[in-house]
Amino acid sequence: MISTGIREYLRPASLEEAWAAIAQCGSAASPVGGGIDVRLYATPNTTTLVDLAGLGLGYVRDAHGLAIGATTTFTEILESTPAKGYLDGILVDVLERVASPLQRNVGTVGGTLGSAHPWSDVIPLLLVLDAALLLYDGRERVLPLEEYLAARASAERPLIVEVRLPMPPPSSMGAFEAFTRTGFDVSILNCACLVSAEAGRCRAARIAVGGTPALATRLPAVERALTDAPLDDPTIDRIAALAGETIDARDDRRASAEYRRDLARVGLSRCLRRISEAGGNG
Amino acid sequence: MTITLTINGERKTLEIAPDESLLDLLRREGHMGVKVGCRTGDCGACAVLLDGRAVNSCLVFAAKADGREVVTVEGLERDGLLHPVQRAFLDEGAVQCGYCTPGMVISAVDLLSRNPDPTEEEIRQGLSGNLCRCTGYVKQIRAVSRAAAVLRGGDVHA
Repeated sequence: MISTGIREYLRPASLEEAWAAIAQCGSAASPVGGGIDVRLYATPNTTTLVDLAGLGLGYVRDAHGLAIGATTTFTEILESTPAKGYLDGILVDVLERVASPLQRNVGTVGGTLGSAHPWSDVIPLLLVLDAALLLYDGRERVLPLEEYLAARASAERPLIVEVRLPMPPPSSMGAFEAFTRTGFDVSILNCACLVSAEAGRCRAARIAVGGTPALATRLPAVERALTDAPLDDPTIDRIAALAGETIDARDDRRASAEYRRDLARVGLSRCLRRISEAGGNG
Repeated sequence: MTITLTINGERKTLEIAPDESLLDLLRREGHMGVKVGCRTGDCGACAVLLDGRAVNSCLVFAAKADGREVVTVEGLERDGLLHPVQRAFLDEGAVQCGYCTPGMVISAVDLLSRNPDPTEEEIRQGLSGNLCRCTGYVKQIRAVSRAAAVLRGGDVHA
């Protein structure tokens, strides 16, 4: 629930102003995208909220791929023509099942990545789509999402300005699978795949699994095992089994490690079969 | 801090606390149709329209409403006539204890503003952020479908 330590709510008009406020307050400041996670999870030492809504970062642009401003809501992404057209509409397919319509009208892509919840369905998808983030901490720089997530525990975290999704490699197909108790619950486990296939063989693969219950990560050993392999049933069974063995599965209140390994196997199997049936085997 | 917003068509300048939720602000201003349920975005009882979009007002900082338009369930009727969604909820008996109803109505208004002819599945999706703990969802879904038909016919206050 809400922290009781919040003393000021700032609405900067520029990135420079926003960063100055955050740099001045350090860990006592929290950037606000949609504000959902700040309302739910702000710690008592948070004294200053810095709302990014005035920075003009609500947009989805077709930019040799996609450029999505950090404060763009999930509803805005779902309704944007460039997002609908990106990689056979995979963003729309996944995002329309994230949270509820009420929350998608508020929640932002930047807020989701800043919070980096381990159950996030957005993060494994963006990992396989090779997302990069435009960041600002007094200067602009671009960092792969993977590197941003790896460094997220550092004391001074840059502001997320924009999410960039490159054009996928030729003949790429994506698939996503998540397991929840109800349609609106967070995922017990989720997985995403992006496969570039040629003549029935996988030429390149990106595979990520989240909610293990750790934060989503790619599975490089599984990706290597799939590369140059045919997208047939024996391969898919082998790769799915390998994913089940490879993930960092642990018990928590949602599921056991053993169940999660089963889910990873089933999820990967479904994703790869869907890709194979959609033409990756052709 | 001070914000200026429009609530149900009335422009107001209000003093708010920096950590105040839109839910608490609206109830403080007397809009008791905005219900307090879970306060964590799970139940949807506190849903209001913010610039036409249904949101969990418990998850929105009141400060975010500055310069924007809020509509609560009390603001849906026009000239003493219920909104077609409200009317349809009555006609279909889509109410038991009634606590979830304002939020359901608000979600339905948002859905129909974007999708005038939703399928049953789309209505279910549209109401998926609103929980009813009395009974179920069949009558609410029928009500939204009925309201959609009324709105498509152009008879807004039928």
